[in-house]
Amino acid sequence: MSGRKRIVINPVTRLSGFLELDVTVEDNAVADAKTKGVMFRGFEQMMVGRSPFDAIYLTQRICGICSTAHSVASSTALEDALGVEVTEQGRYIRDIIHCCEFLQNHLRHFYQYTLPDFVKMPPEYPLFTSDNNDYRIPKEINDSLADHYFESLNYSRLAHQMLAVLGGKAPHNHGVFVGGFTTPPDAEKIIHIKSILDKISNFIENKMIPDTYTVAKYYPELFHLGGGPGNLMSYGAFNNYKELGTLYTDPLVYINRKTEAFDSKYIEEKIHYSWYKGNETSRPFDEIQAPDMDKEDAYTFVKAPRYKGVPMEVGPLARLWLSGEYRNGISAMDRTIARSLEAKKIAVIMKVLIDQIIPGTHVQKRWQVPEKAQGAGLVETTRGALGHWVKIENNLISFYQIITPSAWDFSASDESSKGTAELALMHTPLKDVENPVELGRILRSFDPCMSCATHVYRPGKEVKSIKVF
Amino acid sequence: MKKLDIVLPPESVTNEAIAQRLYQAVTSGLESGHVKRKKLVWLELNGCSGNIISLLNGFQPDFEYAITQMVDIVYSNSMMVEDGEKAINRLFELAEGDEDFILGIEGAVALKNEGMYHLVGNRNGQPVTGLQAAKMLGEKASSVIAIGACAVDGGPSAARPNLSQSVGLQTVLDNREIIKLPGCPVHPDWFLGTLAHLLLYGQPELDQQQRPKMFYSDLLHDRCPRRPYFDKGVFSETLGEPYCLFKLGCRGPVTRIDCPTRQWNGHVNWPIGASTCIGCAQSGFPDRMAPFISYNTTRE
Repeated sequence: MSGRKRIVINPVTRLSGFLELDVTVEDNAVADAKTKGVMFRGFEQMMVGRSPFDAIYLTQRICGICSTAHSVASSTALEDALGVEVTEQGRYIRDIIHCCEFLQNHLRHFYQYTLPDFVKMPPEYPLFTSDNNDYRIPKEINDSLADHYFESLNYSRLAHQMLAVLGGKAPHNHGVFVGGFTTPPDAEKIIHIKSILDKISNFIENKMIPDTYTVAKYYPELFHLGGGPGNLMSYGAFNNYKELGTLYTDPLVYINRKTEAFDSKYIEEKIHYSWYKGNETSRPFDEIQAPDMDKEDAYTFVKAPRYKGVPMEVGPLARLWLSGEYRNGISAMDRTIARSLEAKKIAVIMKVLIDQIIPGTHVQKRWQVPEKAQGAGLVETTRGALGHWVKIENNLISFYQIITPSAWDFSASDESSKGTAELALMHTPLKDVENPVELGRILRSFDPCMSCATHVYRPGKEVKSIKVF
Repeated sequence: MKKLDIVLPPESVTNEAIAQRLYQAVTSGLESGHVKRKKLVWLELNGCSGNIISLLNGFQPDFEYAITQMVDIVYSNSMMVEDGEKAINRLFELAEGDEDFILGIEGAVALKNEGMYHLVGNRNGQPVTGLQAAKMLGEKASSVIAIGACAVDGGPSAARPNLSQSVGLQTVLDNREIIKLPGCPVHPDWFLGTLAHLLLYGQPELDQQQRPKMFYSDLLHDRCPRRPYFDKGVFSETLGEPYCLFKLGCRGPVTRIDCPTRQWNGHVNWPIGASTCIGCAQSGFPDRMAPFISYNTTRE
């Protein structure tokens, strides 16, 4: 078949976890695209039978780059189930810890994961050698951005240091818990994180944001590529504080070019193209479908989360769009710009929250687990909307459901639509099909976390092999 | 000894000057291709990829020093610029070639469906499983380091009911000596210190569980700053109190690790600075260390 070619990229490097991209190219443009998660551990099943408190620590192990997100969602779900009303001090400090992770993550995603798609890194190190022949930034500017790759390492690790000051260590913190946080900070800890935050804020404003616009200047076609479904969603980020109100964005969705209030009742997961059998569509608290890897049409273990039946984009661009602060467009480059602008926004929010801390406020109690309960924790995290749903029976976890941001952005197709990133890839013109650099640039604009998206596996019939081609 | 190697006055013999000369000698050797940095493959298997993130948190040495002065990292799913088949081919070139390399592996080996529960890549249209990569490279590497709880004995990836049938590296490389660095994740110093020992002085001294004694010798409980409260019987009733956490389920008394003295993230804090120790550096984590927090029992 002339003019038709299949491209399989696995591994897609510079992301967290494992992703396979399978595209068909026709006349130098993407005619079909599938994103596939290729690792399975089964965290939801792992939670069953454990002490509810252990979920806060164990679900963090889903993901090394965004572990705090899971501790925040998990503790929020448990508060709902245990009937614990978290205090404002509890929320402030938990959210500050979470802000540290946003900063760590955005810095690393931009400099370590995204930048090498556009900036030629020093080729004397094998980590950086590549066949990418589409580096356009003039040498002097290129080399200064490459220097910032290394300079940024100091700031991302300082972001994790702030997290550790409040949370014990990072990755996988000990400081987020039912009630918000565990150990109250004193003035020394508060000024420790304040002084680091000051340094990180300067780096974001003086280097990261200008660097992002430099990349945008030399790769302007990415403002027209990687659009996706154009539906955006946020569960609400740094919002609804009793005294501070909303510092970022309320729970909102943007569908058919209209903004409306978010309602969790419209969340469902579909499985037509995923390796599961059972109801084609289910709600988060429903019974969970069994796997069926023999299904003819299925190609991934990532399910297809939908809101009002359509795929949604989640993450920094969705949040900035919904809060009305950035409406330039929905594209791969807008996504990358939004991430850097959001880093600045998070630093500002964090500063506001730090100023609310009353040192030495003890929020911990001897929490009582009810015999039977259920709860949901829907929170905004680095990559977007994250939900944990927990049921408790006989004082132990009896059911756990997790829908991650990357499950939204890297969802499978359903009977009427492709997944979000798949849509973003469709019709992308490729300059050189032998070296399709556009594909990685679009995928990484979503900041994929496949450790998170493919945490799920349900026991069932085994298959002899998985047909990859 | 060649005459050139003898250092005589007025040549400076301070430590700094000697270090500077050694550094210049190595740098010029590297530049001329005469001296080669040893290659390191960092293979991520079935896990959270949190150990490479922890490595980025290293202060002294930091990641930049590690990749420019210590080793040539030729493979890292999280960090390398190359992707797809060109990336995966690097693993096969090392497995099929004669070049010396150190293998660091994080994550567990998923055995289910002959390894199909975790793919590291695709080559010639065929999936490359983590199991295959671990075996192929593990048999060839000059040293193998298991980085983090999952690589050491399955860790969280193998937590019950362990649907992916994840196991530690030793299970699939049974005759191979493996340096084991448990922890969830590994502290960057534990890995970089072990790597430095390998590069500069050969294999570090290991205990019976193949852990470097330099990091894993002392019981956390014996070095814990809250130990005096334990000795006096003063216990925290809730998290966030400054007393001994033993009655809330702290696993310090069974965990051998230097966290209390080393501290994390630039040596600023550690798990007990926030909550209990959950025994993440101890074998059997997480299942044998659970529950992590208990209010209703004095001891399991």
